[in-house]
Amino acid sequence: MRKQALSGILGVLAALLIGAVVMAAQGFNPLATYGALLQYSLFSASGFSATLTRAVPLILTGLSASIAFASGPVNLGQPGQLVMGALGATLVGLFVHLPSALLIPLCILAALIGGAAWAGLAAILKRAFAMDEFIVTLMLNFIADYFTLWAITYPLFDPKALSPMTSPISAAAWLPEIGGMDTSVVFMVAATIICWLLMSRGRAGYEWRMTGQNSLFARIGGCKVDANYVRVMLVTGALAGLAGGLMVMGGTHRFVKGLGANYAWDGIMIAVVANNGISGTFLYGLLFSALQQGAIGMELVTAVPSEFIDVLQAIIVLVVVAGRVSLNMVFDWLAARRKLKESAE
Amino acid sequence: MARDVLIDLQHITKVFPPDTVALSDASVSFAAGEIHAVVGENGAGKSTLMKVFYGLERANAGEIFLRGTRVEFRTPREAIAAGIGMVHQEMLLISEYSVWQNIVLGAEPVKAFGAIDIRKAREAVRQKIEEFQFNLDPDSLVGDISVAARQKVEILKLLYRNVSVLILDEPTAVLTPQEIPQLFSELRRLRDKGHTIIFISHRLDEVLALSDRVTVMRRGKVVATSAASDLTKEDLARLMVGREVLFTSRRQPQEPGEVIFRASQLRCSDADHRVKLQGATVEVHAGEIVGVAGVEGNGQFEFVNAIMGLAPVTSGTLEVKGRDITHADVLARRALISFVPQDRGKMGASVGATILENAIMTHHLLDPSFTTGGGLGLDYRRAAAFTEQIRNQFSVSMGTAGDQFRSLSGGNQQKVILGRELLLDTPFVLMDQPTRGLDVGSIEYVHQLILDLRARMRAVLLVSADLDELFMVADRIVVMYRGELVANLATDETNREEVGYLMLGGEEATHAKTSA
Amino acid sequence: MNVFFGLVSAMLVGATPILLAAIGGTFTFYAGIFNIAMEGMMLVGAFCAVLGSFFLHSWLLGILCAIAGALVIAAIFVLFAVRLHTDEFLTGIALNLFAVGLTTFLLRDIFHVKGAFTDAGIQAIPAVKLPVIGNIPFLGRLLSGYNVIVYVAVIATVLCAYIIFHTRFGLRLRGAGYNAACLSSSGVSPSTIRIWSLVICAICCGLAGAYLSLGYVRLFAENMSAGRGWISLTAIILVSGNPWGIAIISLLFGFFDGLTVFLQGSRIPTQFTAMIPYLATLISLYFYSVRKRRRT
Repeated sequence: MRKQALSGILGVLAALLIGAVVMAAQGFNPLATYGALLQYSLFSASGFSATLTRAVPLILTGLSASIAFASGPVNLGQPGQLVMGALGATLVGLFVHLPSALLIPLCILAALIGGAAWAGLAAILKRAFAMDEFIVTLMLNFIADYFTLWAITYPLFDPKALSPMTSPISAAAWLPEIGGMDTSVVFMVAATIICWLLMSRGRAGYEWRMTGQNSLFARIGGCKVDANYVRVMLVTGALAGLAGGLMVMGGTHRFVKGLGANYAWDGIMIAVVANNGISGTFLYGLLFSALQQGAIGMELVTAVPSEFIDVLQAIIVLVVVAGRVSLNMVFDWLAARRKLKESAE
Repeated sequence: MARDVLIDLQHITKVFPPDTVALSDASVSFAAGEIHAVVGENGAGKSTLMKVFYGLERANAGEIFLRGTRVEFRTPREAIAAGIGMVHQEMLLISEYSVWQNIVLGAEPVKAFGAIDIRKAREAVRQKIEEFQFNLDPDSLVGDISVAARQKVEILKLLYRNVSVLILDEPTAVLTPQEIPQLFSELRRLRDKGHTIIFISHRLDEVLALSDRVTVMRRGKVVATSAASDLTKEDLARLMVGREVLFTSRRQPQEPGEVIFRASQLRCSDADHRVKLQGATVEVHAGEIVGVAGVEGNGQFEFVNAIMGLAPVTSGTLEVKGRDITHADVLARRALISFVPQDRGKMGASVGATILENAIMTHHLLDPSFTTGGGLGLDYRRAAAFTEQIRNQFSVSMGTAGDQFRSLSGGNQQKVILGRELLLDTPFVLMDQPTRGLDVGSIEYVHQLILDLRARMRAVLLVSADLDELFMVADRIVVMYRGELVANLATDETNREEVGYLMLGGEEATHAKTSA
Repeated sequence: MNVFFGLVSAMLVGATPILLAAIGGTFTFYAGIFNIAMEGMMLVGAFCAVLGSFFLHSWLLGILCAIAGALVIAAIFVLFAVRLHTDEFLTGIALNLFAVGLTTFLLRDIFHVKGAFTDAGIQAIPAVKLPVIGNIPFLGRLLSGYNVIVYVAVIATVLCAYIIFHTRFGLRLRGAGYNAACLSSSGVSPSTIRIWSLVICAICCGLAGAYLSLGYVRLFAENMSAGRGWISLTAIILVSGNPWGIAIISLLFGFFDGLTVFLQGSRIPTQFTAMIPYLATLISLYFYSVRKRRRT
């Protein structure tokens, strides 16, 4: 665990250094840029709460990818599951009329079901026809994207709007704000804790992790590998769907075109750099959220285009992942040197 | 007759990260035109020493001399260019390619634009086959030919590149007793033509039968080198292990109990609809060890998979303690069967997980004391106590339960797996090559465990490619040939030659033989 | 009749980038690399093609820039996955994200636009009229007049089949995929072979990307590869790398891609026609998987 933290911190620092070099080569001031990043993401009240709010879809999709990758299924369908979950919450929010205490949980349930169903579709295709979920979830992303685009352009279109989006969902479904911060954060933290308990203390989590490491071993051990596969897909789909639903219920309170943006792909990236660990996903999710949130302010202060953050994120991922492997090799090499000296004595 | 020193390895030391000392100041020299065996138990360093010489591993210290000149091969390519070739234990051939393609790979004759000159290649290969009288068809696919033939392809690959020194790593491990003499005569023929043969083995009878000189290694050091004619099997064993080693069985006579396991007319097909099991029938009683002998690939693996529920059964039945498990799911079988699979890393464990996580598998499903909260959570305290129990009961040398499984040595890994499986306390135990790759100490330990199981009236089915092991431990031996169990012999009434003969499809002799 | 030629043309337009990328991916497939960075290579190729064509005023230089850009992505893949032994899957995912971020960033940084960049100054790759064949009445119209890259793709397919199955390099390439340890003990370095396969893949993906941005349009749009790299990967998996099979599958996907364009004028909402290539991929995967299962 300590090795993971060390390689993570070193990797991030190294990536920031590389980013600074790139910026300097383009004529920008790295220190001022990073300073602006920090200020706009963490060191101001509005920035901090915006960072937390932005972290919600990042961390939830990150959890989805982490659990999936750690358990075996290659679920790359978070982008599609997110928008389908958002669609589910939108439908309930538009057409069901109940008081908040009932409507909010119902919308959340719809989001969970939307995401789970979309992932479940891939799971069914795998179980019934042996269709590799890697490709299926990727294709379903595009299909979900176009489908929801159609939905918000035609049947659910807000006649008063100028671009594709739905009408606002009923106010009873809006997530309240606390001190400028969306309560979606509360749901995100709760989900993180539940996921952590599930994976490290739960019996299902143990089986899932063993299956992800060596499915034959788990099968021989008596684990119901095939049933677990479906469960993992459903749970991870639900997590991504939850992200989508929360984004609709908080924030703009309606399904706007481009809702999911790049969050889900960033979530996948976060899972990769966190090596599929739950706490790692949470921390890296906060980090990337801070970077993205600060990027807007960074652009105002130093004129570095905010898209630079996308590059920086990818560099962090590459450096941390490569560094992890190299660090292991370095540790092993050091230990071997020590043993050599011992045996020579 | 003194021969010139051809190869001289001096003071070789090799440490594998993080802390495995494979070779410690090992020195040995090989003479030209001799057959020289390097023996030692598993983990003694014999393979590593040859790999260092061959350029597959880098030594941390030491020097190598070839014909008096200092050399250091950084890759096998350099070794081959210098006339040294190695045939590995896990044969490195491409099943999808033909014999000639495998042989010329890396040294292909070419025409214009880099195209392979097929005619030239096949001619060259045919020439070599005839020169050394190897009896191979250049066009047959390597995946389709026998194991012994594949070994010949490996050797031919090196001869095609005009090597004069051949290093063979455990060449007889994959052959039946009947195929070994042919290999030996081929090797003697090569020696008589002037080649030098170095062969690595732990099979003492063969080493003494074939080689001119023998070098013994133990724990990364060279312990002795002498002429084969000056040594006996007991001498070798003592040098290898450092103490007296018993070669006789410690099995006490015992009356077997009721039938615990019964397979009747089991038929099974593989993924391509080829019938792999043609009606296997066998019974194992309580307090009895039944050994399954056979050349690998005759259906043993499918048999094991069928018993465990990993492969569907076309027809026939499986019973444990009278309960029909022919179509039961894996978990239902696990309540009755302990299983030690043949591949520790691929089937018996998750090497990336902790020792504890590996120890509790299956127990977490069958034993309610391992779960809390209505079956939702795992009781990690109970798991830690259980891992400790395994450590004590099975003398596992390990750090803490939270260490990675792969940090354990092969022998200790197997002990954890055995501990996990045997503590399931099932009436039937299925073991597939349980001592493969273990050092002599661990092998002795495992054999004792198996005999203990027998003493406690559990039923054991032991699948093993090691005839010595079967003769040491099993009460009865059945032979698997082409998917059928063709013989059912009491160990005391047969010998290795008869079993080897049956493994190759021979008929069972009708009169009893004295044991070897 | 015009409809027929229009459909064939649309089919080839849609098929070409997928075919090129898939041919490149075939080399890495046989080398035993799990290469999912083709999407990223194509995207970077598309961007660099516009870059080169715009600033250097030549479509040929644009193509060379595209190949150079794809080679950079391949070099990063080599550095991480081959030299540092990072997991190929993770490296591929990270590289694809890197490519999206980089191209979007540079779009902003160099051209000062968001979304897409188009300009009259971008030199498009021309179409070619075949000398003799072009004059044959029916066949001529069918075979001649396509973009240079389309013919390049055809040549690439033929070369691919020849190289992989008849040359020394091809024998070693497949050997690296079947049994790298065996190849190594035969005196050939699998790492070197794999690096070469990545280089070839980058060249092919660079060409594919150039075709996307300079072939029948003259623009670069954010994320314009739109999943074609994934579709190429599917094509490779479906036919287990056989170059001729890949050609057929690519034509099939191209057909569906062309169908999308064709149906744009119809009453079906554009979002549904846009789904067609991805649905087609799923359906092919279905037939492939079911056939594979039936055989087992």
